[in-house]
Formats: sequence, structure tokens, C-alpha cells
Amino acid sequence: MSSRDVFIVSNSTDELGGVTGWMHRTAQLFQQRGHRVHTVGIHAAELKMALPDPPGYPVTALYPAHPPTPWAPRGLRDRFRITARRNEAARVAEKRRAVDRLSEVFRTARPGGVVIVSQVWAMEWVSEADTTGLRVIGMSHESYAYSRAGHRYRWIKRHYTGLDRWLVLTEEDADTWAGDGMNNVGFLPNALAALPDVPSPRCEKSVASIGRLSDQKGIDMLLDAWALVAPQRPDWHLDVYGAGEDEADLRARCTGLGLDGSVRWRGRTDDVPGALAASSVFVQSSRGEGFPLALMEAMASGVPCAAFDCAPGVREIVRDGEDGLLAPAGDIGALADRLLRLTGSPRLRDAMGARARVNVQRFSEAEIMSRWEELFAFLER
Amino acid sequence: MSTPDFSCVVTAAPGGEAALRASVESVLDQTLRAVEALVVLPADGGAALRAAAASLAGRSPDRVRLLDAGARADCVAALRNTGLDAARGTYVLVLDDGERLQQHACRNLWEAGARTGADLVAGRWSRLTGDGEKEQEPPWQQPLFARSRCVERFADAPGLVVHDALVTGFCLRREARERHALRYGEDLTRSEILFGIEAAAAVGRIALVRRRIVSGRAAPDDGRDVAGLVEAHRRAGHLLEACGQAGLREERDGAFPLDHLVPLVRTFPLLPAAERDRIAATAARVLPDSVPEPVLLTLPPVERAGVRLLERGDADGVLAVAYALRRRGAVAAPLTVADDGRVYWQGEGADPALDVTELGHQHRTFGELRLMNRLTRCEPDGGRVLLEGRLVLPSHTGPGPSVAAHLEFRVRDGARTFRVPVDDLRRDATGIGWRTRADLTRVLRPLGVRDTVWDVRMVVDDGRIRAVSDLFAARDLVGPADRFPALPRLGPAAGDTWQPYVTLKDHLALRLEAHRRPARSAGRLVHYATHFRPARRARVLLRSLRTRRDRLHARGFKVSVYHSWLLRLPVRRGSVVFESHMGTCYGDSPRAIHEEVRGRGLPLRCVWSYDGSPEGFPADGSRLVRRWSWRYLWALARAEFWVDNQGFPQQLAKPSGTTYLQTWHGSAYKRMGFDETRVRLQNAPQRERLQQAVDRFDHFLVRSEHDVRTLARAYRLPERALLRTGYPRNDALLAARVRDETEGRLPRPALAAELGLPDHRKTVLYAPTFRGGPGRQRRRRLLLDAARFAERFGDRYTLLIRAHYLEAASLPVCPPGTVVDVSRHHDVSELLALSDVLVTDYSSIMFDFALLDRPIVLFAPDLEEYAADRGSYFDLREKAPGPVVATEDELFAVLARLKAVDCDFQERRSRFAREFGAYDRGDAARAVVDTVFARHAPAARTTGGGEAGR
Repeated sequence: MSSRDVFIVSNSTDELGGVTGWMHRTAQLFQQRGHRVHTVGIHAAELKMALPDPPGYPVTALYPAHPPTPWAPRGLRDRFRITARRNEAARVAEKRRAVDRLSEVFRTARPGGVVIVSQVWAMEWVSEADTTGLRVIGMSHESYAYSRAGHRYRWIKRHYTGLDRWLVLTEEDADTWAGDGMNNVGFLPNALAALPDVPSPRCEKSVASIGRLSDQKGIDMLLDAWALVAPQRPDWHLDVYGAGEDEADLRARCTGLGLDGSVRWRGRTDDVPGALAASSVFVQSSRGEGFPLALMEAMASGVPCAAFDCAPGVREIVRDGEDGLLAPAGDIGALADRLLRLTGSPRLRDAMGARARVNVQRFSEAEIMSRWEELFAFLER
Repeated sequence: MSTPDFSCVVTAAPGGEAALRASVESVLDQTLRAVEALVVLPADGGAALRAAAASLAGRSPDRVRLLDAGARADCVAALRNTGLDAARGTYVLVLDDGERLQQHACRNLWEAGARTGADLVAGRWSRLTGDGEKEQEPPWQQPLFARSRCVERFADAPGLVVHDALVTGFCLRREARERHALRYGEDLTRSEILFGIEAAAAVGRIALVRRRIVSGRAAPDDGRDVAGLVEAHRRAGHLLEACGQAGLREERDGAFPLDHLVPLVRTFPLLPAAERDRIAATAARVLPDSVPEPVLLTLPPVERAGVRLLERGDADGVLAVAYALRRRGAVAAPLTVADDGRVYWQGEGADPALDVTELGHQHRTFGELRLMNRLTRCEPDGGRVLLEGRLVLPSHTGPGPSVAAHLEFRVRDGARTFRVPVDDLRRDATGIGWRTRADLTRVLRPLGVRDTVWDVRMVVDDGRIRAVSDLFAARDLVGPADRFPALPRLGPAAGDTWQPYVTLKDHLALRLEAHRRPARSAGRLVHYATHFRPARRARVLLRSLRTRRDRLHARGFKVSVYHSWLLRLPVRRGSVVFESHMGTCYGDSPRAIHEEVRGRGLPLRCVWSYDGSPEGFPADGSRLVRRWSWRYLWALARAEFWVDNQGFPQQLAKPSGTTYLQTWHGSAYKRMGFDETRVRLQNAPQRERLQQAVDRFDHFLVRSEHDVRTLARAYRLPERALLRTGYPRNDALLAARVRDETEGRLPRPALAAELGLPDHRKTVLYAPTFRGGPGRQRRRRLLLDAARFAERFGDRYTLLIRAHYLEAASLPVCPPGTVVDVSRHHDVSELLALSDVLVTDYSSIMFDFALLDRPIVLFAPDLEEYAADRGSYFDLREKAPGPVVATEDELFAVLARLKAVDCDFQERRSRFAREFGAYDRGDAARAVVDTVFARHAPAARTTGGGEAGR
């Protein structure tokens, strides 16, 4: 295995968020495998993420703070706005300097270097920088449907068509993008961080849900489904882990449905494996997902899952009927039915939980890292 | 380069320098680097081709190899075999003339091959369409490559060999090719068809990738070599048979006519006459027996006739079929009706392949039919123009004995016409031959500016009926030699020559052209004046002004003006805005309430909203406003009452002093509102918008406690909004039932005579539910085959068809009086009162019809999927007010002995009516008006004071 120069470019170096976390974790893994890693953020964030220890690789931020957004005169009055014009000129000059700096970073690479652009916005700088001799890989951390609904669709079409490769999370997403005219699309799933040493004993009569209490996670639908389950499983509890902006509404709804006795609001948790060890079934009721980590963690703990089939990523992780049960997205009756099946049969739980723990290891970090290296070698052919 | 990953074999035909260059450059542009191009030239390729190839090889000597096919290079197959023999790459890939590899093609193929270990990797390809630069994938490719996958045997992906998927866009592992000794058949002209299938059958694992691999494949030109095509197809069939895949062979035989022969028929109008004759003659020689008779009979009727006539070598017949294919619904041959009532496309003898009874032309008469009028001559003749043609007439109908005809020249996109009488008409058994010599130069006097294109039609008139037909001409009928002088009114500077030409739709048209000096100079001047820079800038400015003006009519602008200005207007006491089904009809409960208001003479100022056309809306006494017009917004902003059965536009807030009466449009079987899966999955802002729209309702009518449990809960309506009065629209049904019981069914309402429903036949109403989602709807086929129904029950029942108000159904042509489309009729209640039997699936109409206590049949072929997909509030089979049938045959069986079946369901039906219509007592309109318009009702009547003012 040869050592390469790997540049990972994200929107920010230290913003609190999933992709930045992914960037630093991946950088560590590449470094452990002997690659020379350099992480680049377009800007440094105000809301810092706590990096555990000083990283053993260079971290560069092109801007000290979020750069200003582009401005173009609209209408006659705008044409006379001197300050706005001067600001825009300064922004352009600043961007040119940032791009030059990025080019300089890239120029340090030995032959066979790779640039991984993990977010579409960052591509605006990378596409202007000098990437001669480097392979450029773009990434998208969301499903096709989600990109299609938002503004990122146009950005992806504009910036990602010319790349050497751009990666989505599942083969189904890749196929959908290919049908949409993106011929350079490939796929690579997210990695599962760690496998707990012991699986959950699956003896507590508890169903766990872990996720932000926001609309996207569909906890309202979960409560509706639980309202159908609870009367038939009076000895079971629904443990809702997480906090978020909808918490008050959801609690009110829970009270309205008369579920106060069987739903326990556990709040935010940092000890996910611990929470999973104290439950026997995991439930996910999201309206939309990319490649949900929570689902993988539950499976790694040997907890069987019931989930809405809301994205290709979910179908990819859970094999319906084998290591978990899927319900058509939004179908509350079906989700309740899956929960009743899982809560009703300890044998089914044990069988599915054990299979889930084995199956989910195809997304282990080692596995995903070797797929990255295969990809690097492939792009060099 | 040691061992390349891919060897791409590129062959070239004489004169194909550009194509060769494009193909080879696409190979060199591959993102996968280790790709070589093997260029094989024919011995008689010519110097230009050789030079082009040499320059390509000179540019990248290590990646382009020139191969000499030597003496055996007499066909493309030999050239390709030479290339294959010389290939060194891990995979080989063959490109046809002008085909280009997509930039990432080799990477995608390589990745799939490496991941799956497949010997053959296939992807999508696109080809040029007949005219222009556009490209298209063959229609069968989409399902075949819906997902990337890997199959162990070719039979697991039948589309690969059933259609010609493997003519390009795939690569083959070189070892596998050598191991199985796969070669192009040098005795075949279309060897690529067979080679792909041979390769698929020989290798084991095959990977399919959903990536476009090749583009720029030439448009299909099957006419050039029909014999070669049929031979390759025949051998492919034998090969599949030899592999033990007789089923695939049958499928391939079934696909062949639609993939190759029908497209060939469609090209006929574009070909010169000699070429048409040649193709037809060849086809007559090679085609018989290559399309099995049972396969032929499964094709749609016109396609079937085309293939049969091609087999017979009837070039003119095929040309006529091509016209009918390119213009759906046209009669292009003298239809004959046999003694048994079957209708044949043309001529003698009962050939089942020419049976076109199902098109239903026999039910239409002269004047309704679109007849082919084929132009056979159009040429200048001694200062005049000679036009000659023939109008086809089917045997069952035609004009009366005294026929006159004239040609009509109509300016394109305008109304101005000139007429030329047709002086020579000869009518015979199968049509009317016509001929005229006209001085078109003098008759046809255009202005010369903005009216330079004229279409020609013929009008046949027998004193009662007028039939108009366009003049169909094959592309080669007119040419530059057929032009004649023109005299525009603006003088010779505007143009001097008429050039006849054939339009894209195969019709004759005339174009005014400039050939002499004054017109050409004037043309150049005009061109300069309209295209020099200031003119171009003026055009851009004009366009931007137009967009700005259009923005003033956009809904977004209207909504913002509505909220910021119109809502500040004072409410006008006593004004009511009515709307039914988003303005599509004047009916339902809003209409019943409106009629009650009018009947009692309440001093209310009624406004109706319509969408599209105001036809059928009450013209007297109430104002009509178009939905989303400024007047509509004005009326809404000032109304004291909103009355509607579905929802005024969600974006519009209700004025503070307005009362909103939501009558709703039916009890629910399928889940609605926030119970609907689609709504649950929406994001928070979308659901919030729905909630706000629903919060506008002040009154909501319910028919039973079922509505309270379902609709009221699904839309989260407060108890105080519910009016337990039943639906005003159903008052008429209850009245009809009382009349039935006291006076009997006859005489029927006046509407029956209007729709042409005879008293001796019972009336069946078929009203299926809405199956689409939000957004624009396409026409779709009904689940019930109306033609079959008419055939079976035409003498006993008349079928009324009502499609959902959001959808339009496409109906087959049926004998007159058996099937009536009432989708455009405004009031469903009137139709219900008229019908003796209702056939529906999940539509809420069944809850209303049950009040009449007449038989209901639920024809629900997709009950399980529908209930699973949309969700339902109860089990239809358990509560159904009539038999639930899943197939058309069952439905017909039930209808055949309706009386007997109905006896068993009378009890259930009345239980159903009681459960779902408990509050429908026949006085809903009065009760609603008394409650909602209480302020205006009795008190206002006594004062009789007209408009209440502010």
C-alpha cells in the first residue's frame, strides 16, 4: 500500500456538525494508514467543535470567518451603490487570494495525490484552484430526493459534473443520479465508528428512539404509532433520547394521546451504547435520512430495528425481514405493526439482533477505508 | 503502454472522416487512462479517410493503432474481426460509425467489471433521432437498466436479447471472447445484432450498469437493408432456440415488429417513391414467415395493418398506414365492413391482420371522420398550377350525391383565406379523385410581410355536411422545380415566388420566397434593419419589459397585493363568493345552497368563481369571476361569506370579518388530510400551511358521526365548526327517492332526453375515483373497458362515464348512444338521480348514491394495493353497499343478473345509507341557510331592502 497525499476540503474546519466531524475522523484514519493528510476548511467557525487532541495533521482555514456572499447589482438603483460595489470587489479579490492559497496547498502534493471535497459549497473554491496532477473526488452526504428538493441540486449539477468521481451514499442514489445525467457518480457508504464489545442483553422491556427532537426525525409519527402499540404492550416503555426545538410540542402531544405512563423522555445522551444496552428494540420514524448512523449503532449493539423506509440509505443498512423490519414511510399502522412483532417475540428479537450485529460490520471503518484506497488506485488507472 | 485496460475497435466507412475523428477522440478523452483505439480501415477507404486516420495516429502514437484489414476487408464484420484479433486490452469494446464513448464510460464499465467479475458489462446508449441533432434512448432501455445489477445468466435480464440492447454500449472481457471464439458473422450485413446475443449467451455473468456508455449512434435506418435485418433476426431466433430459450425467442419475435418494422413504416412519407418501392419489394421477398401470425395479431390495429401491407409489398398501402400512424385517428384507407360487422382496413377478403374494428371508425360518419386526402400531383402547368389528389372514403359513409369541393389556402397562424374551386371531381367506390388547374398566382395575393406561409386544405361540401381535410404529400412530391410566380400586394420587393413544400406533419404548404433581385435586396435590407446591434438591443429590452409585465400577472404578485392592500378593504355586507371543486363546475352543495338562497329571494349578492370557461354557470343574477383573476381576489377580499366545497386557494388568508362555510365534497373512505401518508411525510412548513388553510373554516358540514370521526379529526376541526345538517346537494336525491316511491321512475327528468337516454334501457353510471397525486394530470385509460361493455350490454344499458373532476379520461369510440361521457356535466346529483345503477370503486359518490336505494356495484380491481397505498378508514368488503368485484368479467356477470344479486344487498345498502348519511334528511339546504345566513334570512326578507350596503 502506497502512501498518498490526501486533502480533505469541507465548508469549515471546526464547525459543530456531522460533516466536519466526519472530516476529522476520516483524516485520522487515513493518517493511521500511512497517508499524508491535510484538512482544509473554507472558513473557521464561530461555534467551535471540540477536537479531542491536537490533530497530527495540518488544518488550514482559508478565511478566518464565513466569507461574504456574492452580490450583483439588480436594477438601476443598485448600480449606484458604491459601497456595495467596493465590498464586492474586495470579496472577489479576497476569494482570489483564498484560491491561490488553496492552490499552494495542493502544489505540495506528491504524484498520486487526492482531493476529497466533502461539501458542495467548498467546491466553488476547489474548482477555481489549480488541481493539476490531482484526482478530485466530490461527496454528497444526503439522498437524491433530499438534494433534489433543495438548492444543492443545481450546485451539484453545475460543480460536480466535471469531477473525476463524485460519491453518494448508496448504489440506489448513484443509479438515480446516473439516470439524471451524472455519469461520474459512484457510491461509498458512511462508516460505523465502533462496535461495542458486548451486545445489548435485550432483556429490558424498552423501545429506544435516539435523535434530535426536530420535525425531520418524525417523533410525532412515532408517538402516533406508539399510541397503537401501548394498549397491547402495557409492560413496555418507549424511551425517547434526544433534545430539540420541538420538545415542548411533542410532550404536549404525548400527554394528549394519554401516553405519559409509557413514554419516558430521556433527554440528550452522550452514551449511546449505554442507552442501547438498556433497550431491546430500536425505532426510527424519520421523514428523511441520508445514511443514518443511529440505525447502524443500534445494529452494532445487537438491537433489532423497526424503521420507516424513507431513503435508500435505510434500505441499504437494514435488510427487511432479515436483520430488522421496515415500514413504508409515513405509514403509522405499519410501523406499529412492526413494533408489535418485535416486542411480541423474544426469539425474533434475538435472531434479528444477532444477525444485525454481524451484518452491520460490512460498514466497519476498516472495510470502508480499504474501499477508499481501492478507489484511489482505481482513479489512477 | 503495456497491457491496456480497454481496446476500442473503431471502423470507418468511406467518407466518414468526421465520424472517425469523433469516435477516436472520444476514446482518447476517456478518464480511464489505459485505453487504446484500434482503427480498422476498409481497403477501398479512400485517401481522405486514410489521411484522417494517420493524423489521429500521429497525434497519439502509443494509444491509436492503425490496422490493415488486408484483402478480406469487404464488409464491416471483417473489419471488426480484424480489430478484435489485434486487441490486447483486458476488455474489448466496438464502436459503430460516429458513436462516441461518454467521458467516464470506461471507468464505469471497468468498475462494474472489477466489482462483479462479469465477462460482459453493458450500459445505456443513445442514438440520434430522425431529424436534427437530438438524441434519444430507445424506450425499452429504461426498464432494462432501471437499477445497476448483475445476472448469472443472460436469461435473467431478458431485455438484453429480446431487444437489440447489445448492438453497442457494452464491453467484453478479451479472454472470454477468445475462449468462446466470438466473432462477427462475415456473411451478415447486420452482424452486430447477432454478435451481442451470441456473446451474452456464451459468457456467464453479466453486469448491467445504469450509466450512459455510448452516444451518437446513427438513427435507425432499417430500410436500407431489410434483408440483412431479417436474416440477423432469424439467426438470433435460432440461436436462442438452440440455447433452450424458446420463451425468449417468442418474446423477441413479439418485439421485432414494434422495434423495427413499425418504425420503418413510419419513415415512408420521408422517402422518395423509388426507395419506397424498393423497400416494399424487398420486404415482400424476405418478411413473410418472419413475423408469426399470432404475434402479428397482438399488435395494435394500425401497426398490424402496416406490417401486413409491408409483408405484401404494397408500397402505397404502407404509405397510407404511415399517415395514419403519424396522425392518430385518421382514416387512410377505404374501410370495408364485412357481413359479420367486422371492419377491414382495405379491400377484399377477411384478413384478420387488417381487422380494425376496435378503432371504432364505423361509429363515426362523414364529417366526423378525419380522412386522408392524398395529393398525387402538384406542378406548374402552362402558367397555372395543376393539383391532383384523392380523398379516401370508407364504405359505410360518405357525402350526399351532390358534392362540391374547394381548396382553401389559409395563412399560418391567421384567419385570412383564399379559395379555389375544384372543378373535376370523380367519385367511385373507394374515394373521390379530384383535379384542378388554378391560376394560383392571381388568386393567392398575400401582403408579403408576416404572411409568407400558407397551408392548404380541401373542403368537401354536400349541402349538409362540410368535411375538411389537409393535403397529405410524401416528402418527394414537390421540389424546387415546382415553384411558380407570386404577386404580393406590397409589390415585387416583398417576394416573387411561391415554393410548395411538405410540412413536418406531411401536409402541403406554400412559402413566399425571394428569388429575383428586388426581393432579395429588400430581404437583405430588412434583415440588416432587424439584426444590427441597436435592433438586437431593442429586442432584448422589449423582452425584459415583457417579462416584467408578465410578473404583474403572476400569482405571487397577486397574493402579496391581496394581503397588503385588498385585505384592508371593508367587508361588503351580504356578498357571498361561491366556488365548487376549485371552480371547475357549477354544482355540488354550493350550488344547492345558492339555489336555496335564490329560491327564497334572500338579499345576498352572489359571486361564482369559474376556472377555464364560464359556460354552464348561472348567467343571471350572480356575478361570474375567473379564478385567480384580480376581480376574484377583490370579491374574496370583500365578501362577507365564502362558500366552497374543497378549499379556496391555500395562499389566501380569510378577511377578518368573513364567515367561511366549507360544505366539503364527500364522506371519506380513503384517508384524508393529516391522516394521509403523503401529508405526514411533508416537512413542517408544508404541514403548517395546510393547517392554516384548514383553520379558515368557520362551518364544516357533516353527514354522519363517521364524518366526525374521520374528516373532522383528519383536518383537526373544532367541534363548534361542525354543522350536523347533511349535504345540501343530497336534498335532490332524497326528493327523487320520495318521488320514486310515490310516482315511480317514469317520466325521467328532462336531462335524460338531453343526454339521449332512451326509457327502455337502464342507465349505468361509472364514476371511478381520483388516482393521481397533486399536480397536472395526464389523460389516462379507464380501468373499465367501455367498448367491451357496449358490445355486451349495448341493448340493455346505457353507460354514463364520469371521470374525476381533476382528471380526464380517454374513451374508446363506441356505437352511438351506448356510452356517454358526462365528465363535463356540472352537477353530479342530477346524474345520480338519473342513473339506475352505480359502478364505482372508492369514490365518495357511493355514500350519496346509497340514499337513492338503487343498486351499487363496486368494481375495485386494485382494492388491496389502493387500501395499502392510500390507507382507508374501514374495510370496504365488510361494509360495502353492494357486491365488490375485482375483474371485468365478474362485473359483467353481476350486471347480467342484477336483479337477483341486488336482492341480497338491499338490507346492507340501507344499513350503509343509515350509517353514513344519518343527518341527510332532505332539508340540508334550508337548515344551512338558516344557520349561516341567519342575519340575512328572515329579517332581511321582510325589509326587502336589496343590497345591504356597507
